[in-house]
Amino acid sequence: MKIGIVGAGFMGTTHAAGWAETEAEIIGIVDEIAGKAMPLAKQYNARVYPNLESMLPDVDVVDICTPTPQHHEMTLQAAAAGKHVVCEKPLGRTTAQAREMIEACRKAGVKLLVAHVVRFFTEYALAKSSVVRGEIGKPGVIRLSRGSFRPKKPAGNWFLDESKSGGILMDLMIHDFDYARWVAGDVESVFAKKVTTANPNAPVDYGLAILKHRGGAISHITGSWAYPPPTFRTHLEIAGDGGLIEFDSADTAPILNLIARPSSDSPDVGLPSSPLSESPYTTQIKEFYSVLLGEKQARITAEDGMAAVQISEAAIQSAATGKAVVLEVLS
Amino acid sequence: MKIGIMSFAHHHAKSYIANLRAIPGVELCSVADEDPVRGQRFAQAYGASFYQTYEALIESKPDGVIICSENSKHLPLVEMAAASKINVLCEKPIATTVADAKAIVDVCARAGILLMTAFPMRFSAPLMEVKARLDAGELGQVFCFNGTNQGELPTKHRAWFVDPVLAGGGAIMDHTVHLVDIMRWYLGSEAVEVYAQTNKIFHANEVEVETGGLEMITFQNGVFASIDASWSRPPYWPSWGGLTLEMVTERGAVIVDGFKQNITVYSHTNQRPVWQYWGSDMNQAMISEFVSAIRDGREPSVTGVDGLRAVEVVAAAYDSARVGQPVQVQRLN
Repeated sequence: MKIGIVGAGFMGTTHAAGWAETEAEIIGIVDEIAGKAMPLAKQYNARVYPNLESMLPDVDVVDICTPTPQHHEMTLQAAAAGKHVVCEKPLGRTTAQAREMIEACRKAGVKLLVAHVVRFFTEYALAKSSVVRGEIGKPGVIRLSRGSFRPKKPAGNWFLDESKSGGILMDLMIHDFDYARWVAGDVESVFAKKVTTANPNAPVDYGLAILKHRGGAISHITGSWAYPPPTFRTHLEIAGDGGLIEFDSADTAPILNLIARPSSDSPDVGLPSSPLSESPYTTQIKEFYSVLLGEKQARITAEDGMAAVQISEAAIQSAATGKAVVLEVLS
Repeated sequence: MKIGIMSFAHHHAKSYIANLRAIPGVELCSVADEDPVRGQRFAQAYGASFYQTYEALIESKPDGVIICSENSKHLPLVEMAAASKINVLCEKPIATTVADAKAIVDVCARAGILLMTAFPMRFSAPLMEVKARLDAGELGQVFCFNGTNQGELPTKHRAWFVDPVLAGGGAIMDHTVHLVDIMRWYLGSEAVEVYAQTNKIFHANEVEVETGGLEMITFQNGVFASIDASWSRPPYWPSWGGLTLEMVTERGAVIVDGFKQNITVYSHTNQRPVWQYWGSDMNQAMISEFVSAIRDGREPSVTGVDGLRAVEVVAAAYDSARVGQPVQVQRLN
């Protein structure tokens, strides 16, 4: 199986490391920034292609790790060429885009796999399977939070333009929107607020959302870009009528590092970092590889990816209007 | 100084007796309870004189009374105390309706007596520390709060806590007011809008009231806040529940936990970990403030109006849960 990766940033690099753990072959790397693809291509003995179009004839799978606003068009392009697609989250910038992507892949008879990596984090996967096993009964109130610092991006970067990235309610909180829906089912309404609505120049951002699930559960989702680097914290709580699951990344950190470090030594993006024998990103790519071979079903469908985008879009709309947003049932 | 306790319906009455006993010069003179068996049992256990009726207790002329009746029965007892110009400390929520809460505030104002709402978190050492840092300007501008006041189903303490009339509601009624009060205290700003979602998945077949509740509040100064009021702790959790508050500011965030100062005890007896609290006794500080305010003839640091404001938010939360959209808080002056 021949893989072509589009986008040689952090995600492209991470996915490449995952593909390297499979029998698949990384054929090519594309990045719109000249020279950025070269180190990655060298590492995996792959070619650098100037653009997606030129790479398409040589690959079976296109792995899209580009900025959010490019996911839609690149997926349509890959599907039109009959190539399977792996796409980073969010699947599209809008529900309408996601729908077109799904439709295009269906028509072309290719698979569309969306990389919601939180489903592959062992603690989140374990909590989900505990719920599925009935250990805590029916979920009633779910609390999920994900907190870090605002990713360092140069001025003019797409990420800083909320019309492109969707801001904190899309880019960060979609992880937990998807997870809440995975655990408690489809979402009926969303009410959300974020700091930068009323304070556009705030040095921090923080989003709060309340979801009402069609099955009756309610979820409280928090996203933070307010903590100092290198903080990255996640918290999960699923309370059911037969028990409770709690997880906090700080409380379960197996290593407490009290070694002095220079204050300048902090990453550009906050990332989870509990030591495991296999990175959840690699687990994800390995699963996708098996799915592409036709060996198993993915734990997440493209429709799940679209539903997560729909929740994020509703949260953005709610924060902008101050009203709760009722979600349409996705067909 | 003589302090009386009206009703033992609320289990806090027991700890208030101990708190009163610890204050030099305070005499717990009298207790009264409409349940004579319960009242006499507590009176005997704590060596207080028991009065058969609330009227008899009031006639004994205490300097103040602590009202620990069911939520919906606060008003008549406050009226009785006010009629005899006896100062009042009233359990939270101060009432189950805005009308009752307003009547409580008004009757005490007319009588010229001191009215305090039992909001012990105002006296929590960790919460006071954060308030001091905020006031000192160390934290910068506040943008939002993320608060939890979760608990177990409170029927373990008293059955009426889940009675729709006597308690006035479920988790929202029980667990909104503490955090609303803390937020108002921290911000010096009033809540103007509330959104709430409730459900009844925990203990669905045992109670009529909501057991799950999430709220989002907007304050006049633009700060927004969420509250998780759910009775979502199972009975075998290491404690009854807790209260946490994350405050997000221009400089980052502070997360304070009002009940983190525990030792964890694993015993053959309990067969599960149990948290035993070693932090400062906030109830003691609250009762001491009531006594000091009476002694000094001044307004207490937590007033009846503070209790009223919290009930106004609760009322708006229930309205919002019904309509599925945020609603404005109706503030009575």
